[in-house]
Amino acid sequence: MSSGTAPEGIRIVGATKSFKLDGAPFLALQSTDLAVAQGQLVAVIGPSGCGKSTLLRLIAGLEPADGGDILVDGWTPAEAARRGVLGIAFQDPALLPWRSVLANIALPLQVLGRNVAEAKGRIAELIALVGLRGFETARPSQLSGGMRQRVAIARALVTEPSVLLLDEPFGALDQILRRNMNLELQRIWMRQRSTTLLVTHGIDEALFLADRVIVMQARPGRIAASIDVAFPRPRPLSLFSAPEFAALTAQVADALHTGEG
Amino acid sequence: MQRLARLGIFLAVWEAIGRWQLIGSGALPPPSAILVQFWADRAVYPAHVWATFWPAGIGFLIGDAAAILLAIAFVLVPVLERLLRGFNIAIFAIPPITLSPLLVVAFQGTTPQIVLAAVTVYFPTMIATLIGLREIDPRFADIIRAYGGGTFTILWRVRLRAALPSIMTGLRIAAPSAVLGAILAEFGSGSRWGLGSFLLGSMGQANPARLWGIGLCATALAACGYLVFSLLGALAAPGTAATTMAIRRDPAAEGGKTQGPLVVRLALMLASFLMPFLLWQGVLDLLQISPVIARGPLGVWRVLVTGFDAADERAALVAALEQSVPVSILGMAIGIGGAFVLALVTVVRPAVGRALMPPSLLLQTMPLVALTPLVVLVLGRGLTATLTIVFAVTFFPAFLVMAQGMANTPRAARDVIQVYGGGALQQIWLVGLPSSIPYLFAAARLVAPSALLGVITAEWLATGYGLGNLLNEARGELDYGMIWAVAFASVAVSVIFYLLVQAAETLINRRFFG
Ligand SMILES: Nc1ncnc2c1ncn2[C@@H]1O[C@H](COP(=O)(O)OP(=O)(O)OP(=O)(O)O)[C@@H](O)[C@H]1O
Ligand SMILES: [Mg+2]
Repeated sequence: MSSGTAPEGIRIVGATKSFKLDGAPFLALQSTDLAVAQGQLVAVIGPSGCGKSTLLRLIAGLEPADGGDILVDGWTPAEAARRGVLGIAFQDPALLPWRSVLANIALPLQVLGRNVAEAKGRIAELIALVGLRGFETARPSQLSGGMRQRVAIARALVTEPSVLLLDEPFGALDQILRRNMNLELQRIWMRQRSTTLLVTHGIDEALFLADRVIVMQARPGRIAASIDVAFPRPRPLSLFSAPEFAALTAQVADALHTGEG
Repeated sequence: MQRLARLGIFLAVWEAIGRWQLIGSGALPPPSAILVQFWADRAVYPAHVWATFWPAGIGFLIGDAAAILLAIAFVLVPVLERLLRGFNIAIFAIPPITLSPLLVVAFQGTTPQIVLAAVTVYFPTMIATLIGLREIDPRFADIIRAYGGGTFTILWRVRLRAALPSIMTGLRIAAPSAVLGAILAEFGSGSRWGLGSFLLGSMGQANPARLWGIGLCATALAACGYLVFSLLGALAAPGTAATTMAIRRDPAAEGGKTQGPLVVRLALMLASFLMPFLLWQGVLDLLQISPVIARGPLGVWRVLVTGFDAADERAALVAALEQSVPVSILGMAIGIGGAFVLALVTVVRPAVGRALMPPSLLLQTMPLVALTPLVVLVLGRGLTATLTIVFAVTFFPAFLVMAQGMANTPRAARDVIQVYGGGALQQIWLVGLPSSIPYLFAAARLVAPSALLGVITAEWLATGYGLGNLLNEARGELDYGMIWAVAFASVAVSVIFYLLVQAAETLINRRFFG
């Protein structure tokens, strides 16, 4: 599917990004290096405003980096987007309000010029997966916040992306649904093995899903720590209450808090 | 049910006033008499209605197609919008009646009506489309771009659909304007058919019931156009508003703002200023209108500055301006002032607003200026008639803009004041007034050209005064130079007023709203 010139996955070397804030530059992301190997799931965690969304937007080519190199499956972000390498779900579902659930999920296919009719079965499967069977023709305004978020997740998966960018996709869901979606995401991911970058506020969610947790700090936004998570897969829900899970949770919380003092 | 009852009372009162000739000694006939006359005239109505409707419809289609296509072009190439800003303002500011005599001598048949209808619909549709296309939720564009879509994909998949309700709002305002434009073009044409011609032809017949019948018929035609696009708009609306709020603004929404180095900005401003004149000359050249009739910018310059009797012409024009402009400003001040006060009242008494909104919407769609003969019939040919017309054409749109704007101010802001024991006056002073200022300016900008149009039309048809009279005389004497000069001066006054309001608006906004 992809045949980049460099190793696959995400590779970021020395990427920086600053915004203009009242005329003065504001450093949202300090020179950042990050490598996510092909098929790896990396979770990003950090305080609000530390640049997590910015990092994701740089990788998706939605903002130009001020400097440094970003390669996605060996392509520049813009080229990767054009080739349909990416799947993305934002912090906010951002569904087109005039489209039905079905049509919203089909949108990436249309933009990429792919055949929607051929993907019918796949879209139906995704709708079932996110538990929205029976809502195919509903408009976003008729759905609850959590349901909308699930549509956005289905939309992110519809192109069978080799790189998946998820920005707090479960932020709007209640705890029980969230756990279930964690399980589902793990299942989908194990089947598809997309290279995945998952932004989250939940330490437990990050540890449950990720091969590696990146801890970021704010002012300026930067990567402060990287913690490997070696639990065998598939991980059961009982992992949440395992002692070694608690130990790792403490380690991540530590890394999160040291930056604050 | 309550509405029906209200309508019944209204008709009964009207009938009584008409029966006993309480207004203008019979100038306001009772509805029954109007109906009887309408029935007596039933044979000629279809032809008149058709002669107005058909060119209005064609002009509507042409003007709106141009408006929508240009708005799309403005979104794709923002610098184009900067270049044509002067042109857009000029088109907006043209009092259509001043074009009417020019069009009538330059074209034949229904062309003047079509052109005038197209000119009047262009601006409202263009601006509504532009706003709709620009103000999209930036997150929608993000989604498209994450899958490699570019400007055109965003236009196609997001902007056009998102703009649909806004476009319908534009068309809803444009539809009555098209009827008005077509009627105004008939005023100068001397053609036999059309509601405008019918109205003018019936003016001297001492038959008020017929005049009222024609006026109501024209209103019904305009209101139909308004209703059709209201319904279409309601169909397009559901599910267009995003379910959650976007925090960022779409960068393209900033397209209208001036950026770049000072030299570039000045060059753009100059080009934008010159563009209307270039286009004016260009259209004349393109259509190859006889130079006897046509005057380009240089021609008007010659008439007013370098020609052998330029001093006389200038004196006549200045005298006319001195008569027309103060009346326009006075009428507009009364109209906007009244609307402002009433809008403030609606802040503390929302019920008043709800009651006044529907009739205001209806009255706004009336081709009021075209109904000048009716007003003259009731109020005579003096200043009162002129002021009444200007008041009527400025009051309703101004009230709608301000009342709708103020209705958007959060209820909570007023509640805070109420909780601390503030009364109605304090609510007006602390919340209503500050939140209304932007809408006051918007209303002033919106209605200024209508005010001038109202004055000129009244002067032309009734009072024999000012610019309208000068225009009418020049038309009679086939003094084409003067016709062009009057048209140019009217547009210039209107544009200057627009720019003054805009400057004041920017100043105040910067001062008080950061
Ligand atoms: N378009 C923008 N213009 C100006 N500043 C921006 C812009 N986007 C982000 N920023 C700034 O960059 C910093 C990082 O923002 P970002 O959205 O990446 O944070 P985040 O880590 O995703 O936070 P959260 O957890 O709250 O979503 C913030 O301080 C924000 O103010
Ligand atoms: Mg974020």
